[in-house]
Amino acid sequence: MRRYLRFALFVAALVALAVLAAGCGSSKKSSNTNTTSTTSTNSNVAANGTFPGTFTNGTSAKGGTYTVGWEGSFGFTDNFDPTGEYLGNAWGLYSNLMLRSLVGYKHLPGAAGNALIGDLATSVPTPTDNGLVYTYHLRPNIKWAPPVNRVVTSKDVAYAMNRLASPNDGGQYPFYYTVIKGWTDVQNGKAKTVSGITTPDNNTIVFHLTTPTGDFNRRMSMPATAPIPPEVGACFEGSKSTNGAYGRNVISNGPYMIQGAAGKFTSCSALKPFAGYAGANGSKLILVRNPNYDPSTDPYRKNWPNQFNFVVNSNADDIFAKVLAGQYQDEVSSPTPKVIRQYATNPSLKPRMIPNVGDRTNYITMNLTQPPFDDIHVRKALNYIVDKAALQKAWGGPIPGSIATHIVPPVLYNGGLAEYDPYATTNNAGDTAKAEAEMKQSKYDPNHTGKCTASVCKGVLMISDVRSVDKTMAPILQADAAKIGIHFTIRSVNGAYPVIQKPSNNIPISDRSSWGKDYADPYTFFAELFDGRSIIKEGNTNYSLVGVTPEIAKTVGAHGSVSNVPSVNSDIDNCRATLGDARTTCWENLDKKLMTSVVPWVPYLWPNNVFIVAPNVTHWNYDQFTDGPAYSAVSMK
Amino acid sequence: MSTDATPLLEVRDLTVRFPTPDGVVQAVSNVSYTLRRGETLGIVGESGSGKSVSNLAIMGLLNRSRTAISGEVLFEGRELLALPPEQIREIRGKDIAMIFQDPFASLHPMYRVGQQLAEAVLAHGDVGKQKAWERAVELLDQVGIPNAANRARDYPHQFSGGMRQRAMIAMALVHNPDVLIADEPTTALDVTVQAQILELIDQVKREFDIGVILVTHDLGVVAETANSVLVMYAGRIMEYGPAAQVFAQPQHPYAWGLLDSMPTIERRLEALVPIEGSPPSLIAPPSGCPFHPRCPYAFAPCPRDQPPLTAPVPEAHLDACHLPWERKLDYGSKRSVARMGDAA
Amino acid sequence: MALYIARRLLWTIVVVFCVIGISFAIFYLLPAGDPALRFAGKSPSPQLLAHVRHELGLDKPWYEQFGKFTWHFFRGDQFGWPGLGYTYAGGSSVKSLVFSRAPRTLLLILGAAILWLVVGVAIGVLSAIKRRSAVDRVAMGFALFGISTPVFWLGLMALYIFWAKLGWTAGTGYVSPVDSFTGFFSHMILPWCVLALLYAAFYARMTRNSLLETLGEDYIRTARAKGLPERTVILKHGLRASLTPIVTMFGMDVALLVGGAIITETVFNIQGLGYLAINSALQQDLPVVLGVVLITAVAVALANLIVDILYAFIDPRVRYA
Repeated sequence: MRRYLRFALFVAALVALAVLAAGCGSSKKSSNTNTTSTTSTNSNVAANGTFPGTFTNGTSAKGGTYTVGWEGSFGFTDNFDPTGEYLGNAWGLYSNLMLRSLVGYKHLPGAAGNALIGDLATSVPTPTDNGLVYTYHLRPNIKWAPPVNRVVTSKDVAYAMNRLASPNDGGQYPFYYTVIKGWTDVQNGKAKTVSGITTPDNNTIVFHLTTPTGDFNRRMSMPATAPIPPEVGACFEGSKSTNGAYGRNVISNGPYMIQGAAGKFTSCSALKPFAGYAGANGSKLILVRNPNYDPSTDPYRKNWPNQFNFVVNSNADDIFAKVLAGQYQDEVSSPTPKVIRQYATNPSLKPRMIPNVGDRTNYITMNLTQPPFDDIHVRKALNYIVDKAALQKAWGGPIPGSIATHIVPPVLYNGGLAEYDPYATTNNAGDTAKAEAEMKQSKYDPNHTGKCTASVCKGVLMISDVRSVDKTMAPILQADAAKIGIHFTIRSVNGAYPVIQKPSNNIPISDRSSWGKDYADPYTFFAELFDGRSIIKEGNTNYSLVGVTPEIAKTVGAHGSVSNVPSVNSDIDNCRATLGDARTTCWENLDKKLMTSVVPWVPYLWPNNVFIVAPNVTHWNYDQFTDGPAYSAVSMK
Repeated sequence: MSTDATPLLEVRDLTVRFPTPDGVVQAVSNVSYTLRRGETLGIVGESGSGKSVSNLAIMGLLNRSRTAISGEVLFEGRELLALPPEQIREIRGKDIAMIFQDPFASLHPMYRVGQQLAEAVLAHGDVGKQKAWERAVELLDQVGIPNAANRARDYPHQFSGGMRQRAMIAMALVHNPDVLIADEPTTALDVTVQAQILELIDQVKREFDIGVILVTHDLGVVAETANSVLVMYAGRIMEYGPAAQVFAQPQHPYAWGLLDSMPTIERRLEALVPIEGSPPSLIAPPSGCPFHPRCPYAFAPCPRDQPPLTAPVPEAHLDACHLPWERKLDYGSKRSVARMGDAA
Repeated sequence: MALYIARRLLWTIVVVFCVIGISFAIFYLLPAGDPALRFAGKSPSPQLLAHVRHELGLDKPWYEQFGKFTWHFFRGDQFGWPGLGYTYAGGSSVKSLVFSRAPRTLLLILGAAILWLVVGVAIGVLSAIKRRSAVDRVAMGFALFGISTPVFWLGLMALYIFWAKLGWTAGTGYVSPVDSFTGFFSHMILPWCVLALLYAAFYARMTRNSLLETLGEDYIRTARAKGLPERTVILKHGLRASLTPIVTMFGMDVALLVGGAIITETVFNIQGLGYLAINSALQQDLPVVLGVVLITAVAVALANLIVDILYAFIDPRVRYA
C-alpha cells in the first residue's frame, strides 16, 4: 500500500505543478471589464457612429521601411493580378501605392474618404447624353514604372477593360460593367474588344453606356479598371496564361512598385517575375519607390516611407508582440480580445489602438423559401428575440463592433438612418413579449401560444463556421430561438461560405454571413444581396433568395416555398439610375422596405476595423475606400 | 593433485537476505563450505534453493544497497565481503571466474565472440588490442574450437550450443583464475554435448590446478565429476560431504527423495517417484526444519527445532536432520540396494 | 544486401503511387466545396467558373486528373523534375515552392533531432541506472511534463520568456544560415528546444524502459562477471542492445516531421512545409497539398529503408536475403 500512496502523491504534485505553470502563462494584468463603459474621455470610442480614424505622434518625414505583419497567408484571390484580385487588403496596396485608376479617392477616413477625385484622370466627369456617355481626360506625364517606363495612355486603360471583360482572364467583378455597350459580347466570346469603349487620342477615353448608371464613376475607381501596358499584358494571354501569373509582374503607375522591377522591357521571354513578390503562397511582398513617379501629378498621396514590407506571419500573437516592440509598424490581422484588452486598459498604449467604422454588416441570413422562415412573422419574431448585446460581447465588446439595426451601415448613407431600429429592444437584449406577439400571427403557431409549435420548427439546420467566435455565438442563438419554439441543429463547417452559396443546398439559416461594400455606394449591398436576377447556381450571394421565382429556383436547384417570394428588383433598378442626394434617400427607403416587408436578415453587428500601430509610427489614418490603412499617408521615424 | 592444505575458498555462515515490500526474502541462510585446489564442489538443489545466489554473493554481483549479506568469504585469506566494489571488480573475472547456464543468452548477440573474449582480456590490464585478440584466439583453440582464428570473428548466433559454452569457458579462463564457478553449465545443452563440456571443465581443472564449484540440479552431473557435494534446500545446507559418501550413504530425506526421483535404466518403474509438494516461500519459511512439510519421515522435533548441520557419527558426513543415525543408515542402505536393482 | 535495397526502392515507388491515389481520393470525396469556386471569387459568372475549372483541370474526371498528375510527377513538367504542377492560388511552381520551404523544415528537424536524441537518451540512461532514486523520479517527471505540455503553449511561453522578457534570443521567423549564421542560430534555438522537448521526453522513457529490460539480460551479468567497469557494462553492452526500438522510432519521427511540424512552424513563423500544407488544405489548393504529402511519403519510405539497413548494422543477427 505504501507504494501506491507515494506514487499517488507524486502524481498529484506534478499535476499541481502543471496547473500552476499553466496559470502563469495567461495574462498578468488583471482584466478590467469596465472597458465597455462609454463615459471616458477616450477618443477611441465612437461619438456618433464614427471614429476619428487618425493617429499622429510627431511630425511626418520621408524615410523608413514600413513593415506590416500579415496574418496567416496572403489569401489573394488571383495571385495579386489586379484584373482578378478581389481581396480587400490587396486593394489597399493597389489603390494607395501602385495603381492609379481613372478616378480614385483621397485616402482619408470617414465621408471625406469616400469622395471621388480624379486620379489618373484630371477630374471626375459628369455624364453627357442623358447619363449615357462618360469622357475622361488623362493627366499628362504619368509614367509607367520600370521596365515599361513610357507615359501611360488611354489605350492602356482600354486594354485593361478588355481584359476584364474577357471570360478567360480571371476577372472577378465584370458584372459591374455590363452597362457598357458591347461588354456582354466580349463576355460571351462574340467579340474581342468592347465596342462601347473608345480612345479618340492617347489622352482621352470615352465610355458609352446602355442605360444610365448613377454610380458609374465609382465603378471606374476599382483596381481592375486601372491601366495595364499591353506589351506586358500580352505575355499573359491565351495559352501562356495561368491563373494570376501577371500578379508577379504587376506594372505600377503609382508611387511604388514591386521590388525587382527594373531595366527596359524587351520581350516576354526576358521578363522574369519580380523578386519582391514570390506568389500567393509566398511569405513576403516588397514595394519600393517607383523612380518614374512624378509627385506633381498627384495631389493626394504623401508617400513618406521609402519601402513597404508586407510579411506573412503564421502566429497572430507574435504579430502583435512585434508591433508592440516596433519590429512591425502595422498589421493585417484581427486584434484578439486579449490584445484589445491590453491596449484598452493601458493609457500609454491606448492611442495606438485605432478603431474605424468598417462599412460592413454581420448578419443572420434566413432563406425565404425554407420553413419556418417562409413566414414573415417568424422572421420578424427572430429579429425581436435575438440578444444582440450578447452577440456583440461574443465579438469582443463595443470596440470590435457596434450593434447593427438595419441592412447598410449608416456611414454609407452619410450618417443617414443612424437612429433607425425597427426591432428595437431594451439594451438590445431581445424582447420575448414582442417576439411572441409576432409569432402568434404566424401560421406555424396555430394555437397562438407565442411559440412555434409546428414540426418544421424542430431540427432547423443552421450552418455555422468553426472560428472561435462562431462557437461562442452558437449557444446564444440556440437559447434565443428556443424561447419562441424554434430549435436549431447547428452544423459547423470549416469555410461555410461555399455551402450557403449553393441554393441547391437549401440551407434555412446561417450566422456566418457578413457583407462589406465594394465601393461607397449602397448599390454594392443591394444588387448582389437582394436582386433576384443575380441568383446563380454556385457562388450565389443572394442567400435569402429574395426575388426568386419558380423558374429561377428550378435552374439553380432550390426547393421549398418558391412562389410568391417578395422581390425588390424594380426598387434596385430605380435607385441605381438615380443620381445625387435623391439616390441616397432612395437606398434608405429600400433599406426600410427590406427590414419591414421582406425581413431577409437579422442584422446584428457593424464590425469596426481595429488597427494597432507601432510606437515609431508618426502618422496613420484609415482609408475609407479600402477599409484599411491609408498606406499613402502613413509615416514612421 | 594439490596437497595444499590452505583452502582456496572458505565460506562461513554466508547469509543473504533481500528486503522487499512484501517481506524479507531469506535467500541463503548460514551456508558454509570449503574449496581446495584441484577440487570440484558440486552444489545441488532445486530452483530457488539459493545455490545461484550464494555464488553471486561471492562474486560481488549482488546489489549491496538492496541486499543484506553477512558471514565471511575468505579467498586466499582475503575477506571478500569486506572489500570495496573496486577491489572486488579486480578479482572478478581475474581470480574468480563464472560461467552461466544459457551460453546463448550469456554472450552479447551484437559483438563478435573474439571481441568479447578480447574485452575480457583488456578488462584486467591493457595489453593492446592486437595482443588481446591473439590471446582470445589462443583460448578458443585451447577449449577445442576448430579453426579458432576464423571462428573468433563470428557472432554468437553462428556458434552451436556446445561451442558457445566452450567459448564461455574460454572467456572465464582468460586470466587463469584460481576459482571457476560454473552455474548450471550444461542445463541448456544436449546430453552428448553435456558430457563434452563436463569433460572440458574437468580437464581445465586438472591442467590449471584450480578449484571448481559446479552448481546444478542434475545429480547425474554431480556424480560424474564432483569431489564433494553440497545439497541445498530453501537456502540452507541439508547435506554436505565427499561425493562418494553422499551417493553411497545419503543421510538426509531430501537427498533420498532426489535420488529416488531419478529415472533409472537399470530397473523398470511403474511410475516416477517425485517429492510431493513444492519448495517453500523464502519470505516465510517453515518453522524448524524447512523440509518438514514435504518430508515423509517428519516427526515431533522437526516442525519445532531447526536441525543443526552436524555429522551424526564421526565417520559420517554432515547433514541437517533430526532422524536418529540408525534410521538414516537404514534407509540409506536400503535405498542404494533398491537403486542397484534386483539383478545385483 | 544490394539486392535488398534495390527491391525496397522499387517498393518506395509503389508506395508513393498509392499515396498520390489516396490523397486524390480524399480530396475529391470530402464535401469541402469546389476549389474552382474558391478561386473564381465573388459571384462568378458561369463562364468564368467553367474557365477556372478548365484551367485547373477540374473539368476532367478524377482518374484522368490522377493519371495526368502521376505522369507529370514521374516525368517532370515545365517546372522541372519532379513535376508537381502549379498552385491553384497563384499559378506558381509547386516544386519551387516546396523545395524553397524544405530546407527550413529540414534544418528545424535536424537541430531538434540531435538535441532530443542526445538529451533523451542521456536522461533515459541516467534514469535506468539510478532506478527508483530521486534522479529517476525527476527525470520521469520531466518526461511526463514534456509529453503532456502542448507544443503551442510551450512555444508561446518560450517566446515570452526568452525573447520578450529576457531578450536572449531573436523572435520568430527564419534566417537562412547562408545569410547569417548567428541570426540563424538565434532564431532556431527556441524552436529546436520546443520541438525537441516533446520527443526527448518520449525517448527518455523509451530508452529507460529498453535499457532496463536489457540490463536484466544474461549477457549483462556476464559482462559484470568479467570484471568490466560498470560504465562499460551499461553503455557498451547495455545501450547497444537497447538501440533497436530507439532507431525505429527515430526514423519514423524524423520522417513524419517533414510535413508534420505544423504547430512549431506556426508558432515560430518558420514558413516551413507543415504550415504550407495546412494553409493550402484550408484553401483547397490541391497541388500544394499533394506536393507536401508526396515529399513526406517519400521521406517516410526512405526513412524506413534507412532504419532497416541500420538494423543490419546494429544487430548482426538481422540479415537480409
